[in-house]
Amino acid sequence: MVILTLLIAGVANAAQPLRVNGSTTVNSVATEAAEALRAQKGMTIQVDTQGGSSGGISGIGDGTIDIGMASKTVSDEDRRRYPRVNFVTTEIGRDAVALIVSPDVWQGGVRALTKQQVRDIYEGRIRNWKEVGGADRRIVFFNKEPGRGTWEVFAHWLYGDPKKAPRVSHPEVGANEETRNKVGGTRGAISQLSASWAAGGVRALAIRLEDGTVADATAANIVSGRYPMARPLFLVTNGPPAGQAKVFIDYVLSLRGQELVRKHGYLALQDLKVRKEGVVAKKP
Amino acid sequence: MTAVVCLAVGGAVLYLVAGSLTALRQEGWAFFTTARWSYRHGEFGAASMLFGSIAVALMALLLAVPLAIAAAVFLSEMCSRRVRVALKVAVELLAGIPSVVYGLLGVLFLRDWIAALFDRAGVDALSADTLLTAGVLLAVMVLPTIATLSDDALHAVPRVSREAARGLGLTRAETIATVVVPHAAPGLIGAVLLGFGRAVGETIAVFLVVGRADNRELSLNALFDAGQTITSKLGGSETNIAAGDPMHGSAMIALGLVLLTLVLCATLAAEGLRGRLAGAR
Repeated sequence: MVILTLLIAGVANAAQPLRVNGSTTVNSVATEAAEALRAQKGMTIQVDTQGGSSGGISGIGDGTIDIGMASKTVSDEDRRRYPRVNFVTTEIGRDAVALIVSPDVWQGGVRALTKQQVRDIYEGRIRNWKEVGGADRRIVFFNKEPGRGTWEVFAHWLYGDPKKAPRVSHPEVGANEETRNKVGGTRGAISQLSASWAAGGVRALAIRLEDGTVADATAANIVSGRYPMARPLFLVTNGPPAGQAKVFIDYVLSLRGQELVRKHGYLALQDLKVRKEGVVAKKP
Repeated sequence: MTAVVCLAVGGAVLYLVAGSLTALRQEGWAFFTTARWSYRHGEFGAASMLFGSIAVALMALLLAVPLAIAAAVFLSEMCSRRVRVALKVAVELLAGIPSVVYGLLGVLFLRDWIAALFDRAGVDALSADTLLTAGVLLAVMVLPTIATLSDDALHAVPRVSREAARGLGLTRAETIATVVVPHAAPGLIGAVLLGFGRAVGETIAVFLVVGRADNRELSLNALFDAGQTITSKLGGSETNIAAGDPMHGSAMIALGLVLLTLVLCATLAAEGLRGRLAGAR
């Protein structure tokens, strides 16, 4: 449930540790950045993933952490909840949310789903994979738990607004590791997961668009917007980053930090820029 | 000392009652009777969780009580003093294993066993994270607690009663069945109630294997499917989210109140029964 990564720096630096908490998607980058900063500058940094993105945002709201990790934008509602807090979000890269399936579903021939099919599966109108061209097996939907950025991106895509998502009754999963393990270990399983995490047997489905073409969660499709479930990854602070938090964020934005973003399968800011210009250039 | 304890428990209950009012006023009895929990829609019907909590605890007792009482009879009535002490230490060590360790074992082994069992029995379960899985895991967890408390209850039966029974020509088995166990009954029931309290309040181990599916229908079939308990809901991510929303926060506190009430009732009843036994002696 909770992956606690506690990085304790040398005794020399007995200062208040830098507290980082939130999204498991951002966590993989933040943990490595923290290790590097510990080695280079002897900083004391605690990285935790309690409550996912919402945990990161409410942590900044309550003042219990210094940097929040979020794989969704800070909503107006969040800002209303904490009127005294000045949420400043720094984008560090971009990621896509994929629908991932267990190996048997993939082998059964399901490679892409339309938005309507996903909606019918989520709301329980489609209950068997054979209805969408797969093998005869019941569908097990593992739903990302409330507060996870992944879920919000998914709900945004299907319903326009997470608040409009209907009440459903699916088993819930939390962190990315748990999602991947449960989907990998359950026949007929599907769940929402950061596309970069689709490994170890589980496969990411493509989305069949309204024009009938199929969009994979590739870098090009994310940048062009053809793949519909893309999301920015943020580090969140109260006010502009300062002190240790600024050192940390600057590192993630530096060339080395951005390499970490790429290493974990996300799009670095540079990729977005170059590709955006590339896409623009292609337009007459 | 007693006053401090009463003050602490009373304070906790008062705080929870006050905190629950907002939600209980909105939902009324529907909080307990409807299975529709969805904080995004401002709906708080906790029946599924209440059902889940009680179902997993009862399943645990169903599996654990016969074994635990049998173990206690063996410990108290059939072992030499030295063996009894050694075994009792072992049982109490089991009772002291942190619950997260049990949860881990549940994830690593129990889930696969349940999956294999379902396959063999032809149960068409969606996955092996079910209320039943949680119930079996809890049975393992409460067994040592019930066994050692039951042993205490049996052992407290005066030796004179046993000797009188044997003197009347009863066999050892008859003595146990007709004299010792009936005499110790209040204590045995107390041990079971304390086991219930522990099972209903257990969080992390349940959280890891119960599946955390909201709003399941209340039926026997639901036992073979993913479910939610009060503790797995309170241990999950909603607690973080609820902090900023008065109604949601109040509903979570109301869940806490229900849980505390269940555990308090079980514990007080158990202590009452055990006290009666001590008084009779």
